[in-house]
Amino acid sequence: MQPLGKAASDDDRPLIERVRRGDQDAARILYERYFDRIYNYVYARLGRAEDAEDLAIDTMTRSLTRLDLFQDQGVAFSSWVYRIAHNATIDHYRRQGKATLVPLESATMPVSADPSELAVEQLSNEDLRQALRTLTDEQQQVLILRFFQDLTAAQAARIMGKSVGAVQALQHRALGSLERVLHGRTNN
Amino acid sequence: MERLERLAERLRSVDPVMPSPGAKIRGWNLVLAAVEQSATVRSRSHPVRRLVLAAVSAGVLLVAGAVAASADSLPDSALYSLKGVVENVRGALAFSPSDKVAFHLDLARTRLTEAEAMIARHRLDLADRALSSLDDQLNDAALLVQSEKQSDPALGASLENRLVQAIATHDQQLAGLQGQVTNPAAIAAIAQARDRAAQAIQTASKPAPSGGGGKPSASPAGNGKGNGTSATPHPTPKH
Repeated sequence: MQPLGKAASDDDRPLIERVRRGDQDAARILYERYFDRIYNYVYARLGRAEDAEDLAIDTMTRSLTRLDLFQDQGVAFSSWVYRIAHNATIDHYRRQGKATLVPLESATMPVSADPSELAVEQLSNEDLRQALRTLTDEQQQVLILRFFQDLTAAQAARIMGKSVGAVQALQHRALGSLERVLHGRTNN
Repeated sequence: MERLERLAERLRSVDPVMPSPGAKIRGWNLVLAAVEQSATVRSRSHPVRRLVLAAVSAGVLLVAGAVAASADSLPDSALYSLKGVVENVRGALAFSPSDKVAFHLDLARTRLTEAEAMIARHRLDLADRALSSLDDQLNDAALLVQSEKQSDPALGASLENRLVQAIATHDQQLAGLQGQVTNPAAIAAIAQARDRAAQAIQTASKPAPSGGGGKPSASPAGNGKGNGTSATPHPTPKH
């Protein structure tokens, strides 16, 4: 998955214009640029490959067919796509009636030599994903954008509609919450 | 602090989960179909819009032509008030309960299209009115269904089914729209419209109040003063 730098967002503009004129090649380039990233984002939230596929497809369809709504919104196309993915995820939760959380009971948490210290290096990727899904919506979003999607605080701020400072503070709280969740599991 | 940094580093090292190649191909086929359809709709709608605008600016549109053209007009168009007159006439010509419900559902669909267009043009005031009118039409249809279920249960059930299906379609469309807008006021207006549409289903499922008071106004277009709740029974003229 390519990191999403500023250049990628700038490169989107001529492609968007071409898609508006009905250019399918341009649509294909944008699809290739964002589909994996959005799939990864949604999977981190939901933990189910089938749902992640459906929502990623839905997000890309909306992004590329409703460019009239994107016009003049003053945000980068990448931010807009992430917002659509986020709203689709929230809508998915609402349709389900509750968050489809994966229980942590099955996770096997490693224990550090020092009981007060969490052996994060030994945690499996799936354990971390599962623990992350127990956090609040915003905490999950900031950790996924910053660490799974490798976005800068400024990029995450634009997607979340917050200031950079607010994102940094939220990220700090989210990491603390995640650590407490992981720690709670190792002590049980 | 160091612990949190270690945790952050660990999160960075989590391998991304990638979609299967099959899912990616399936996704592209679906997206491509939607992009093609979207381009077709755009190419069809632009000449009509251009034609209407040219005709209005030239001032040569005949009355019959204006009436026809107004059918596609939007709330920010000069022809929009004419559209309301046409809709009222259509409503007055709907006599059977089935026709009346169909009329309200048709108007609801029209209002939804208008709301989408107004949001796209950043006219949230007009979008809000269109969404409100959409819900009024659904509520009027729900009251008709409620009343009909008492007098003819079989027909009432059939009409209720049509209403529920129409609302489900609208809700899907509204949910899609809600996911695409970023303006908080627009999001709130859409959420409210969805809630009111859901209430219309509940209204239709309830038994009608005794004494036959559940029927909406005699004219399907409604006058906003009867038991129907249409506060904006026809398109709102441009202000």
